[in-house]
Amino acid sequence: MEELFYREKDLFLQKLHPTAAMVFICVLMVLSLIFTNPLYLAGLFLCTGFLIRELQGLKSWEFFLKAGLLMTIPVMIINPLVSKAGATVLLRGPRLPAFGEIDISMEAIFYGAVMSLRLLDVMSVFCLYNIMLHPDKTLNMLERFAFKSTLVLSLATRMFPAMLRRLENIREIQAVRGVDFEKGTFKEVLDKYMNLIYILLLSSLEDSMEIAEAMQARAFGSGRRTCYIRIPFKPRDFICTAAGIAALFAGIFGAVKGYGTMVFYPYLGHLISREDILLLLFLHMMLLIPVFMSWGWRRCRYFR
Amino acid sequence: MASTAIAIFLLGIMWLSFEFGMTSSKELAIIAVMSAVAAMGRVVFAALPNIQATTFVVIVSGFVMGSRNGFMVGAASALVSNFFMGQGPWTFWQMLSWGLAGASAGVLKKVFPNIGKAGMTVFCLLWGYFFGWIMNFWYWSAFIKPLSLKSFITVCLASFWFDSLHAAGNAILYLLFGITFTKVLKRFYRRLKVSEGRSGLKKSTTC
Repeated sequence: MEELFYREKDLFLQKLHPTAAMVFICVLMVLSLIFTNPLYLAGLFLCTGFLIRELQGLKSWEFFLKAGLLMTIPVMIINPLVSKAGATVLLRGPRLPAFGEIDISMEAIFYGAVMSLRLLDVMSVFCLYNIMLHPDKTLNMLERFAFKSTLVLSLATRMFPAMLRRLENIREIQAVRGVDFEKGTFKEVLDKYMNLIYILLLSSLEDSMEIAEAMQARAFGSGRRTCYIRIPFKPRDFICTAAGIAALFAGIFGAVKGYGTMVFYPYLGHLISREDILLLLFLHMMLLIPVFMSWGWRRCRYFR
Repeated sequence: MASTAIAIFLLGIMWLSFEFGMTSSKELAIIAVMSAVAAMGRVVFAALPNIQATTFVVIVSGFVMGSRNGFMVGAASALVSNFFMGQGPWTFWQMLSWGLAGASAGVLKKVFPNIGKAGMTVFCLLWGYFFGWIMNFWYWSAFIKPLSLKSFITVCLASFWFDSLHAAGNAILYLLFGITFTKVLKRFYRRLKVSEGRSGLKKSTTC
């Protein structure tokens, strides 16, 4: 817990400009929220998976997918229970006081499954964000628009691991003095843990005064701030951003024209048409460009 | 999609009010410390099921430091703790829920300055449920159809026990430690104001 979820691995996708990386991640997120067609969602899932593999983050993905699978259980159960719009009723259940008659339809089960896939897509995109963008880079981007909030976030991010270490020290000191954190009633255990927080709070608040004085000594708030941009926007960043934006426009165009969306009620609509195949091909080509570039970056020195 | 946009919009409004408000360096430092302490609240009680001291710390911060600062403590604690635990689709909604818990505590202080221990305990208890319902909202709006009151209640029923544990944890924490915690924070917050007044640095240190 003392370390960030992000791990620096010196990989192509981690070296992208934060704006390029953020644009690409946002495009994946928006597309997974626009589409309701399972083929599109499965495609996005695979693309995100390839990107995660390029970032050597399969273990993190496993963690996110496990959490996601747990979250899909209510989606799979609640949708068939509350939806009465499906025409193909598979099971007529008992009459419940608040729900009325329970009709489990094939369309509602299918909708629940597709929404579960969407949930796994969203989880995968967040997994990608966690392993691709260093929090400092995210905060650097935010700094230009909201420097006070970013300063609070940066300070708190630095303090969090330090506080955890301090908390462990306080716990050890208490244990040496004979405090057993496992023994006692619920109230006693809570009391012992809360004492830890008190000590931590008092010492941290004292520290905050020193931090504030250090900020003042460095002329914080004395005038207009200057900003120095050190991360250059390279051609590779331009290519990835352009690919992301092209995929986004294609997705929006498709959604407006009715591709990528599926009719669930009262009967299931068509899964795929000729135009869908073209759009899917274009979308995935665009979304896989960073994967190809990463592959090239690892194998060809001219890409570096 | 629309629900996420609403969450980001609400967060943006509160964030802007913090950005354009007058905040001294000491206030910023205290907000950062309280955010880190609140984030720690997620870790310290990890062994106890769904008892999150974060909500309690955020509510006390909002009550002592006002709505704007309370919102910032809540929103920052969610974001910061998730840098270590992993950001997910829940992050925006945790930021919004904890932010609103802090902001509402500030409003509560203005409306009922002498609310007392019992009132605050009930407030903490209610926020255990409000937090759960706000968190359920994104889940419901993105993955459940039809979007009806009945389906929302079903989602809330599914999380009822988790929300109840959270609410009970908040109430117990406030009942046992709320007064002392508030006193400590009040003392530091007052000290911050006094030192600025005496040294005449108020104008130069705010930004």
